[in-house]
Amino acid sequence: MPPAPGTHESEKQAAAQQAVDILHEISTILNCHLDRRTLSCCISMIENGVNPEALAAVVQFLRKEAQKEKFRAQDAERDARAG
Amino acid sequence: MASLSSSDKDRRINVSINRLIAQHINPSANFTNEEVQARQKWYAEQIKAAFDEKPSSALAPDINHASDLIKRKLVQTNPGQALRFSNLYSRLLALPVLNQKWGILYLLNQLADSPDPLEDDPDAYEEYIAEERAERRQKLDRGDRHATPDVSKLGANVIPPNIEDEFQPSSLRNAVPAPRQPPREEQMADETDPESMADSSAAAASNPREQQSRPQTRDIFIKSQLLSNNYTPSDPSEPTLLRDLPYTLQGLSSATLPFGKNYTLDLPRSLPTPLISILNTLAEPSLLYRTLEDFVKTPDKGLLNQSLRAAISNELRAYLTLVATLEGQIRTALASIDDNAPRNGIGKAGVTLKRCVVWTREATMGLRLMSVIAEESKRKKGGQLISLIHAFSSSHGDPIVGAFAERLLTPVTRPFYDILRHWVYDGELSDPFREFFVHENTEEEMPKNKAGSSNVWEDKYRVVKEMIPSIITEEFAMKIFLIGKSLNFIHHSCGDAAWVESYSKESSKELRYGDTATLETWIDDAYKTTMRRLLHLMTSKFHVFEHIGALKSYILLGQGDFIALLMESLAANLDRPAGAQYRHTLTAQLEHAIRGSNAQYDNPEVLRRLDARMLQLSHGDIGWDCFTLEYKIDAPCDVIVSDWGNRQYLKVFNFLWRIKRVEFALGAVWRKVTTGSRGVLHTKHTVVQQAWKTTQGVMAEMVHFVGQLQYYILFEVIEASWTELQAKLRQEDITLDDMIEAHTKYLNSITHKGLLGARRRRFAGSESQEDENSYMIQLGELLRTMLSYCECVDGLYSWSVSDFMQRQESDLISTSNVTQRRRGGGGQEEEIPGGPTSEFPVLQERLKHLGDRFRSKLQLLLGDLAYQADVDLRFLGVSMNFNDIYQPVRRKAKGTPAAPSAAAEKDRGGNGGGVEKSTKA
Repeated sequence: MPPAPGTHESEKQAAAQQAVDILHEISTILNCHLDRRTLSCCISMIENGVNPEALAAVVQFLRKEAQKEKFRAQDAERDARAG
Repeated sequence: MASLSSSDKDRRINVSINRLIAQHINPSANFTNEEVQARQKWYAEQIKAAFDEKPSSALAPDINHASDLIKRKLVQTNPGQALRFSNLYSRLLALPVLNQKWGILYLLNQLADSPDPLEDDPDAYEEYIAEERAERRQKLDRGDRHATPDVSKLGANVIPPNIEDEFQPSSLRNAVPAPRQPPREEQMADETDPESMADSSAAAASNPREQQSRPQTRDIFIKSQLLSNNYTPSDPSEPTLLRDLPYTLQGLSSATLPFGKNYTLDLPRSLPTPLISILNTLAEPSLLYRTLEDFVKTPDKGLLNQSLRAAISNELRAYLTLVATLEGQIRTALASIDDNAPRNGIGKAGVTLKRCVVWTREATMGLRLMSVIAEESKRKKGGQLISLIHAFSSSHGDPIVGAFAERLLTPVTRPFYDILRHWVYDGELSDPFREFFVHENTEEEMPKNKAGSSNVWEDKYRVVKEMIPSIITEEFAMKIFLIGKSLNFIHHSCGDAAWVESYSKESSKELRYGDTATLETWIDDAYKTTMRRLLHLMTSKFHVFEHIGALKSYILLGQGDFIALLMESLAANLDRPAGAQYRHTLTAQLEHAIRGSNAQYDNPEVLRRLDARMLQLSHGDIGWDCFTLEYKIDAPCDVIVSDWGNRQYLKVFNFLWRIKRVEFALGAVWRKVTTGSRGVLHTKHTVVQQAWKTTQGVMAEMVHFVGQLQYYILFEVIEASWTELQAKLRQEDITLDDMIEAHTKYLNSITHKGLLGARRRRFAGSESQEDENSYMIQLGELLRTMLSYCECVDGLYSWSVSDFMQRQESDLISTSNVTQRRRGGGGQEEEIPGGPTSEFPVLQERLKHLGDRFRSKLQLLLGDLAYQADVDLRFLGVSMNFNDIYQPVRRKAKGTPAAPSAAAEKDRGGNGGGVEKSTKA
């Protein structure tokens, strides 16, 4: 993003904030289970030319990985307790 | 952004990737920093590989495509949120910041309805288990040949880069679950990535729940999509029509649906046919309501018609309540309508024209039925109206219609039951519009009999059969009629108003439609009570039985001594012409007869009614012809002994009186002759002696005839009928009607058997008119002949007496001139008795003629009697001719009576030829 004068910058910030708000609301409506930070990440990636379909796949992938991670941690805990 | 260098872009993307990873994967506590970093690095590599595989699409994507997809999805699953989404979307579009809005929306759409990351995902768990297994296998296979201890320490946590095939299911390309996608998208994905097809189907198979739900949702989706795609907005739109519908249903004109003339509804022409047909269905209740409303407003004479209107207007009120509810529904539905949704979202709002049709269906049935009733009722009144509605409730196949009519019946019949109650308990007909099945005859309608008077009991009220409602049977209706009539009779004719009042106070009950059994028992009770009271009044207060008894003893000559005395005292008077009869002498003689006979001990109430008077006299009548006794019957009793009955009594009396007179005359002459034969009638003329002998013989015949006739009428006829009547009147549950009937039958049997009304059967076909009173005529002639004969005998007696006197005189003269006298006397014997100027031959001729006539007439009568159907009448013939002295003659044809000669007759009689035999010969 090119550097811009202060007032313009702050306006843009506000607009971006608004955009994130709106998109978050839409994502809630659609049950996307995205929090604001993830959402803004995604927005910036898409703004930078990432294919949204690929990004969606990535998000799903990460979620799945996180789940696996969680199961693994649970198993480890159980093992530790058993051990 | 285009100005940015590609390296800058990559950097930013890398930063974002790292942030994303950091947010999703929380490093476990037991991992070291390097391990975490290694993992993150691996993830980042994976992600970058994924991004590289699908580079950003070069072509400018359609911004609306993604939003349409979302909107469709929302409309289908969550219509409430669709509106919110469109608002948000428009706001988003207005923002200047984002360049790839479609991309974000596409992302969100892809992620829509994704499983909550905080909850356990079964898919992920399965993959995890699979990975674990693979890991262990690898461990076993490879032993210690692990690349790095770090990695081996991580164990299963680290996914080796060369086993990509193994966790193909979780590969990034297929991470997005297929079922969440609209079919088109899925197909697209499959086309772009053919190798994953088998896997995706395997994934679908592994998740049967989703597989089940998928086709269903797809179907509905497609249908609603089709509907909304094919929807063409109508003019006026459906919401407008819905808004106006409540007014239409209430019969009020609205902008879109104005009412035309004569119960018509103008439908807008611009509407498509399906809508028109729906509106046509909805127009039916509206138009029916309008018709019925107008019907209710029309004034009508007739309580039942009014009550019908009241009942219908009640039902209409219920209908308006329904319309009000409907309006409320429509209002709320219209308020929630979304203008942007397909068909204005009316399908989602829950109220459509079609639904209104369904809601008003039952009400329409009711309205239809009521309008049929209203239409029919215009031509009907009173009981017919009840019958009409009752027919619907009892014989209509549709249970809804039946129940509706039944409901209608209760209010409608209320006036009818009010009238019924008045009638049954008060004996009053309070029916201003003549709707009850009992009508009071007006003066004109009163059937007049010949005397011009009318019978209160019979003619005051009448039953109109067609007005009997079908809720009561005809028999029951007759019972009701009799109750009211009796009460009315007790009140007005018997003057016992007090009893009627107390009775109506005691037993008056509210009658209503529904409980027929109770109603019937009440009516039966009322019937019994009323009948008992009426009978009690008739017997104890009005002495009906005594009157009937008195009629028998005086008018039917039962009281012999009284009649004999009356005749004796009146005889001289009645021989004079009818014009010379005076009432005071008659009544004086009557009084004398009463005083002189056992009649004086009779009830003075009865005697008071006895009266003697002259009938209308015609020229040349003598007193005998016109005299009559009369028994006056007044108000309540004349119901039983009606005018007709009185006439019958008079007829019988006159007949009996004539017989009695003949008997009296015969008796008088016989007395004279019998006493005279000992003195004055002694004569030496053999001719005269012969004449007297035959005369006495004929007279004996006549006496016998009259005696038999009288015996027959008084004992065989009157007494027998009287016994019958008594038996009937003594019955337990006799009603006034039964009494009247019994009395009528009694009179009929008397007049019939008493030869007054009996017909000869023989020529009934051809000459019935002339034969009408054949016996009456025959007997009349016989009686006249007998009277003339009596007169003749009287004449003969006078001649004999004068002859006797002459002889006495001549005997006195002959004492001085015996010889001359003897010769002269001897010569006289040979000649006509009493000299040439004597009346004797004429008298003798006349007597012979009359005697022959009597015989021939009597034989004719006997001939007729012998072939009577009635046993009693045949028996009369037998008793008159017990020794077969007469030969009964059957008339071959009218007017040619074959009178056989006396000699032949006697011969045959001596031979003992029976009736049958003689006629055959």
